[in-house]
Order: sequence, then C-alpha cells, then structure tokens
Amino acid sequence: MPQDMQMSQNAAARPFTARRRPGRGLIVGLVIIGLVILLRAFAPETPAGTLTDTARDFVTLSISVVIESLPFVFLGILLSIVVQTWLPEGFLLRRLPKNPAARRVVLSLLGMLLPVCECGNVPLARGLIAKGLTVGESMTFLFAAPILNPVTIITTQQAFGWDSGILVWRIAGGFLIANLIGYIYSRHPKPEALLTPRFQDACALGDRHDAADGKIKRSADLFTKETSAMLPALFIGAGLAGLIQTAVSREVLVTLGSNPVWSVLALMALAFVVSICSNVDAFFILSFGATFMPGAIVAFLVFGPMIDIKMLALLRTTFTAKTLVQLTLIVALCSAVLGLAINYVV
Amino acid sequence: MSFRRLLRRWQGALLSIVGIVATVWLGASGQLGLYIHPRYFVFTVVMAVFAAALVVAAFALVPATEDAHELLDDDGGRWAWLWSAGSILIIGSAIVALLVLPPATLTTATVAKRDLNGSTSDLTQSEASSLVGGDYSTFTVRDWSSLLRQGAGEDFFADKTATVIGFVTPDTSDPENVFFVARFVVSCCAVDAQPVGIPVYYPGWQDEYPTDSWVAIESGFDTNPSISSEEAIVLVPGEITPTDQPAQPYVY
Repeated sequence: MPQDMQMSQNAAARPFTARRRPGRGLIVGLVIIGLVILLRAFAPETPAGTLTDTARDFVTLSISVVIESLPFVFLGILLSIVVQTWLPEGFLLRRLPKNPAARRVVLSLLGMLLPVCECGNVPLARGLIAKGLTVGESMTFLFAAPILNPVTIITTQQAFGWDSGILVWRIAGGFLIANLIGYIYSRHPKPEALLTPRFQDACALGDRHDAADGKIKRSADLFTKETSAMLPALFIGAGLAGLIQTAVSREVLVTLGSNPVWSVLALMALAFVVSICSNVDAFFILSFGATFMPGAIVAFLVFGPMIDIKMLALLRTTFTAKTLVQLTLIVALCSAVLGLAINYVV
Repeated sequence: MSFRRLLRRWQGALLSIVGIVATVWLGASGQLGLYIHPRYFVFTVVMAVFAAALVVAAFALVPATEDAHELLDDDGGRWAWLWSAGSILIIGSAIVALLVLPPATLTTATVAKRDLNGSTSDLTQSEASSLVGGDYSTFTVRDWSSLLRQGAGEDFFADKTATVIGFVTPDTSDPENVFFVARFVVSCCAVDAQPVGIPVYYPGWQDEYPTDSWVAIESGFDTNPSISSEEAIVLVPGEITPTDQPAQPYVY
C-alpha cells in the first residue's frame, strides 16, 4: 500500500510519464488533417440554396469574426508560450518595480512591446498569471494593452487625427480605467477566488512541470491546453456576435446618435455587440462618422476593447462569471462617465 | 482513456485544424477577401502556418490523455456529459460553417440591417471633394455614392456616365421601380461592412434581375422619375448586363 502511494505520487509529480510509441500520435494527427482537407476540397461548390439570406449572413458574419480573430489568438498563444517556456525564469516579472502602483503602471504599458489585440491578450495574460502575476495586475494588463499599443494608437490617429482629442481621451481613459481596476482587485482578500477552478488547477500544475521535458514538448503541450481553453470560447463568441448582428437592426442605435446621453449608451451597446478588434475599431466607428457625438465615440473606443461579447467568452476561460459581471459594470460605468463628461464639459 | 478526457484535451487542436485548413484554403483559392480586408491576408496565412506547425508538433509529442490532476472539476458530476455534448456541438458547427458550406458574401438581409448609404463620415466627405475632376470611367459604386451623398447637383451629373458593377438590392421607398446597384465597404472584416449604392430607375427590374444577383451597368444620371422614391438623382440605364460576382466583392 505505501509502495502504491509512492508510485502514484511519482506519477503525479511527473505528468508526462504516459509515454506511447513515438510516431503514432503524429500519424493520427496527419490523418485527421488530411481528412479535414479532403472534406474542404470535396464540399459542394455551389450554394445549397436551402439557407435563407438571414441564415447565410449569420454564418458569413460568424466566420468573419473567426477568420479575423484566429491569427491574433494564435499570436497571443505563441507569445504566452514564449513567456512561459522560452524566456528565462522571471525575465519579465523580475524587471517590474516593487511598488504595486508603479508595477501596474508599467504593466499597462506592456502592450507597447507586445502589440496584440484584445483576443490575443487573454492567452498572454493567462501565461503571466501562471508565471506569478497577481490577478489584479493581470487585469490591468488585459484592459490597458489593447488600447495602449502602437497599432491601435496609429490606426486611431489615422482615423481621427490629433486635433479632435479623441485619441488623447482614448489613451487616457484606457490607462486610468485599467489602473483603477487593477487597484480595486489588488484589495481583494482572496484573489484566487476570482479565477475559475480549472484555470487554478492549470496554474498549480504549471509549477510542477518536469524539467526533463524538452522545451519543444512543453510548448506543444501548452499549445493544446491553451487552444482547448480559448478556441471553444472564440467560436461561441463569434456565433453570438453573428447572431446578434443579424437579429438587431443598427438603425435603432444610429438614430440615437445626436443625443448627448443616448449616443454614449448606444455606441457602448454597439461596441459590445460588434466585438471588433481594438486595432481596427477606429476605422469602423469612423464609418458611422459625424452623426455621433465625440464623447460617444470615445466611450466606444474605450469600452469596446475591454468588454464585448467575444471578449467575455474568452475571459470566461479564466475568470468566474461573478467577477466578469463586476468587471463589466465597472468598465461600463467608467466609460459612460468619461463619454458623458466629454459631451457635456469639453 | 475515456472519450470525454480525450475530447477535452484535443478539442483545441481539432478546432485549430478546422480554422487553419479553412484559412489556408480561402487564401489559396483567393477567397479570403470575402471575410477580411486584404491588408490582413499575409498576417492571417502566416499565423495559420505557424499554428499548423504547432498542431503537428502537439500530435507528435503530447500524450493522448491528460493526467488526473487536470480533471479535478471534471470527474463525476451528473451533468459532465453536457460539456462533452457542448464540445461536440461547437466542433460540428465549426466544421459545417468553415468546411462544408461554400464561402459567401453578405446579402440584402444585411443591407436592410445596416442603413444603405447611411454613413456621412468626415472620411467619405473629404474623399468626395477630391473625387471631383478625377477619371470618372474608373469610379466605383463607392465613389459615385459618395458624390451623390455629398449632394453634388444635377448639373454636375448631367454629362457624366457611370460604369459600375454591383449587386441588386431594392429601394425601400419605391421597390417597384427603383433598385440600388450596391457594394459593401469593408474597413476590417465583413463584420463592419457598410452598404453603399447608386439608385437605378428601372420599372419591373424584379422580373429580370433577382435581388442579390450581380449586374454591370453603363448609364448616365437623370432626375428620378419615381414619385415615391426618396432618391433625387438616379441612373436610367437602357440596358443592364447580368454578370458574375467579382473576385473582390467588397470595396475598400
């Protein structure tokens, strides 16, 4: 009996002892890939004609969200793998200041070095938490990085220029809200309770990785884990975003555009629904253009990168539902206050 | 090795394969433009190739099932099968949407949701002023609709000829006599597509040109003869040629 226990402990300490014949997995994988390619190649070429226009557009919009977000999610997972396996232990975290507020400020600027849009930030933030970042700090990074990153700043500048003030308000608003949220959750007595049990287990397991495993193998292992967590969420988010866009008419939102209060709320609702990447949302809202007041546009550009349908589905892999409701409320309130202040005061 | 564990472990790799194959196939067959802006083509395909390398590495190196530690919240539980059912549903839907259904553009159903020619942004207005005096024979549906929206008068359009390709979508204010030859403007991906169009006066158009079919029109502009239509200036073509959907159905 003690011997049994010892054996099982050994097995637990070395998660990858379940070896199998090398090459078999590779063959299984290649067969699956081959079957998928054959399916695509021999799928009917002409439209079946059985789908209504609305159903077709729902599929087209959902696919569009997937095709557009997938490379960013892959990039985020790749960066997360680099941070967790290839960088020396503590390479990023050791360089952060000791003072909590200063740490959060530096973390909110991390997006300048790792220009991934919000969907890629989720796997990266998961990697950073697994490496010892606190939950509050990870939220600061998550919410600041999509706005404070070079690609977003350049596209926003191209769309609105410097003079309108929209770019400055966007950067300032994103920075302040992200740091406020980091501060609030740094006061939480049990920050690990904010995380889903499954993600806590994954973090705990991360510490026990067998040093004997090669870096490539650990990378491949992390890739299967992260894709298994992120991709179902991405596909659900894409389906929901497509569904709501085919069900809700945009005219309703646009007609509210010239009212200082309703325009802010309408554009925040639009940001929530369209789930568009922060790198390009400035162009998107520009196409709605002059009908909306500047405060509403800033609220759209600040709220959208932090919270939307797709983002909530992705965040749910990591944070509990209760935490996400709180986060949504705080970010929505802050964005609304910012937008209204710009409409009424500036 | 239970099926549920196997599924949980490998659903990400399976979904990755579906996404990667769909992306690369769309790229190879020149249809990525149905979903995203051309500026993302290279990035999207390159990331798909990287991910494909990782998927193959995962199949080659990673053990088939997870160890027990990762399933603390999974074992037992009467509703655990729901998770597996959900996974199968997601993977099945992804396969049908991305691999089985033929790629398609957006249709008139989305035009109705998105206020045709509704946007009057700074961008399109400044573009419109720079359009005046350009080479009118190369103008797209977007260029002409910008000029129409900007309110260039009848005098301006009197001697101009538009040569455009677009899809047919009805004018809501006079669907009997007027349709729009329309295109979607895409700034990032199909999600943000905005419909733009030029009104065409052609009584009984429904009998010859079904909604969402593609047509080529070469015609001059004139005052709209329709009484109920809200459009002031329309194309009044003598002839409309049905045509195939262009390789780049959206304009940028």
